[in-house]
Amino acid sequence: MKTLDQLRQFYDTDLRRDLADFERQRQKIVSHSMIVFGVLAGAGGLAALLLIRQGMPPVFLLFILIGCVIIGGVYYYIAGLDYRSGFKEVILRKLFAFVEPGLDYLPGQGIAQPMFKAAGLFLHHIDRYKCEDMIGGKVGKTEIAFSEVHAEYKTTTHTGKSRHTEWHTIFKGLFFIADFNKDFHGRTVVLPDTAEKLFGLFGQTLQSWNSSYGQLVRLEDVEFEKEFVVYGTDQIEARYILSPAMMEQILLFRREVGKKIYLSFLGSKVFVAIPVQENMFEPKMFSSVLDFDVIAEYYAQLQLGVGIVDELNLNT
Amino acid sequence: MLTILIVIVAVLGVPLLILAVMYNLLISRRNQVHNIFGTMDAMLEKRWDLVPNLVATVQGYAQHEKSLFENVTQARSRAMAGQMSHNEMVQYDNAVSQLMGVFRATVENYPQLKASENFLHLQRTLNELEEQISAARRAYNAAVTDYNNAVEMFPTNIIASMFNFERKTLLEFSEQDRQNPDVGKIIR
Repeated sequence: MKTLDQLRQFYDTDLRRDLADFERQRQKIVSHSMIVFGVLAGAGGLAALLLIRQGMPPVFLLFILIGCVIIGGVYYYIAGLDYRSGFKEVILRKLFAFVEPGLDYLPGQGIAQPMFKAAGLFLHHIDRYKCEDMIGGKVGKTEIAFSEVHAEYKTTTHTGKSRHTEWHTIFKGLFFIADFNKDFHGRTVVLPDTAEKLFGLFGQTLQSWNSSYGQLVRLEDVEFEKEFVVYGTDQIEARYILSPAMMEQILLFRREVGKKIYLSFLGSKVFVAIPVQENMFEPKMFSSVLDFDVIAEYYAQLQLGVGIVDELNLNT
Repeated sequence: MLTILIVIVAVLGVPLLILAVMYNLLISRRNQVHNIFGTMDAMLEKRWDLVPNLVATVQGYAQHEKSLFENVTQARSRAMAGQMSHNEMVQYDNAVSQLMGVFRATVENYPQLKASENFLHLQRTLNELEEQISAARRAYNAAVTDYNNAVEMFPTNIIASMFNFERKTLLEFSEQDRQNPDVGKIIR
């Protein structure tokens, strides 16, 4: 993976030219949207005044306001569609090809739901699944793929005749798959530890009762045990995968990323899920794309996925 | 009458139930130890089976280490003859681990050998097995710790002493593994 300094050079010599085109487009969309909002606000205000004068109740003012916001929002969204997909296809593709030449970027695709489910990290049933921004290919000798994933389930409550549906996030963030350099037959999952952190030894007892992930695997690395809880179908296999060196690497990775991490080892593959709240790999409409910090942010997002190969030493 | 029956059932039944739960816990933990030991045993045997290959591969290159290889083979036949206790098995396992160290050191002096396809394949298999054995040892120690905790902690220690559940020894391998092998001493 190229360094940030190399990226800056590439940005100055190559990327800036393309970015300038997109910056013009962005400014145009933003200014047009402002005009549309302005016109809508003016027209809406005038209509409201007329209607109130004719004796309509003031609540209509609220309807008009909502109507204007919706129309303005739809215009802004549609006007930005081509820009967003173009930005991804041209700028992000070029950027990622430079940073890691072995990778391919497919904005419209993502890790499929069966694959996400097969990892066995999130056992809740899924009602809605969205994925995009797939990045895949080879980093060194290792085949990898990752994308943004948002998996949700819904709950419906009935009060009288009305039905209220609420969506709950199961996982939102980066989902990563790679070839692992060891062969194994069962499944081992490494989850962030909350019970043991909160309740200590009693927490560990609670964890041993939770059999939905398999048997609890108690490991000898105290630091690792504080951060993670491990379940597996085979006690020996879990330790074969999680060698002392591997545990240390996972711990370092956890500290470096500064987020919760979920890992699963299945069928000679490693699955990593990192929760991320923001929408990744998205062009920003209200800040200049010519700003290098914006480009550096995409680099950091890519590094979050590609970096796993080095962090977990997968290239051996 | 019914009340008396309930009291009798409660007085006798509840302690019996507790006794059964604790007894079963000890049994399941002991079985876990045996289960993991069985897997480890199979892995160690697999490694022993590689010894003749190892000797055959290296022998041609290192004629003056012949006696070493002969001793390795003899140690292997001793190990394969008859059942071994957990502790004996661990001793032999350690001996082989050290022999592997000697093997690697020997190979360093023979670049031709290092380049041979046969040797490289053997080395890969050995490394893989070493990792699996190391995982099995860790799993064994974890299972023994769980079992020993149950044997020594209140209230399961009462049942353990009633039914002769004895403490098991942990495998101590890391220290020995780190030492430079003295092969003569191990296999004589």
